Amino acid sequence: MSKDFLRISPAFEDVMPAEYRELVASGPYGKGYGISDLGSHKELLEEHPLCAGCGLALSLRLTLSVLPAPEDTVIVGSTGCSALAFPQVALHNIHSLFGNQNAVASGLKRALKLRFPDKHKDVVVVAGDGATADIGLDMVMQSWFRGELITTIMLDNEAYANTGGQESGMSPKGAVLYMAPKGKKFQKVNMPELAREAGCVYVAAVSPANPKRLGKAIKRAILVAREVGPTYVQIFAPCPTNFKFKPQETIKRIKEREKDGTYLMREYISPEAQEYLAAMEGGTKDE
Amino acid sequence: MYGAVKVDEEKCNGCKLCVFSCPDPNVLTLLKTKKITVNQDRCKACGLCASVCPKEALTVN
Repeated sequence: MSKDFLRISPAFEDVMPAEYRELVASGPYGKGYGISDLGSHKELLEEHPLCAGCGLALSLRLTLSVLPAPEDTVIVGSTGCSALAFPQVALHNIHSLFGNQNAVASGLKRALKLRFPDKHKDVVVVAGDGATADIGLDMVMQSWFRGELITTIMLDNEAYANTGGQESGMSPKGAVLYMAPKGKKFQKVNMPELAREAGCVYVAAVSPANPKRLGKAIKRAILVAREVGPTYVQIFAPCPTNFKFKPQETIKRIKEREKDGTYLMREYISPEAQEYLAAMEGGTKDE
Repeated sequence: MYGAVKVDEEKCNGCKLCVFSCPDPNVLTLLKTKKITVNQDRCKACGLCASVCPKEALTVN
């Protein structure tokens, strides 16, 4: 998609929806906005039906605001809370079968490569923890083994939140949920380490409590996935509905979990990715 | 929605920490005067913005 497609023909301007006109006039296409520009432009996400105080919605909003080239990005989603928000996102997006998201994205990336050989088309997978770590784990791992040039972003709310609160592989040990009353028996799956071992060249675990860091990680992950290899970003997005805390405590809770060491924020950059990023960021690396 | 957040314009210094913590898009926007304004129709009154505001300029009712 190029920006010209978005422009409205002058004769039809008065019959277009107000949201569309706003998006064309002050949307983020082609501007290269970052996190710090939020609040002064029209966002890609119009609105969403997710709960008040949802960490996942916050992560999704921040993620969409830092895409390096929104007009050339295709998002592949999967079943879960995040899928409820995608119909309102002003980007190309595909809703895949539950767990199939990385397989769909692999094919899409190859097709786009053939169709637009001289352009970077970013294929970004945004899925929940159930689709990434449980049901779609084989598709996710195989796409990393094959070295597909896609970015996988996991919105980790530590449960199957929109089906009533079943435990997922990413729930912490002992978590008691509405549909897991006895508490989870085994440890949280260590996805960042799995990703690193499976061949991801850039791996990060971030949270919306630190928006600048989140923005940087996503930007880096998408840029590295253009040429070097598969990348993985895990975003901690606690769920107030299923973990039974007040909606205004979402950020406090992330900070507590970070402090007591039960959720580690980390970043791994492989030497090739480091080299690529150094060239992209003009040698101003602050790691 | 039944509740919404309100901004005390005298206390607000335009640091935008609330904008980065709001889960709903296009609710909090920064005016040209460097003050935050709220789209009350879309606010879900979760109170996350009020919990991060260093000046306590936001209140949920």
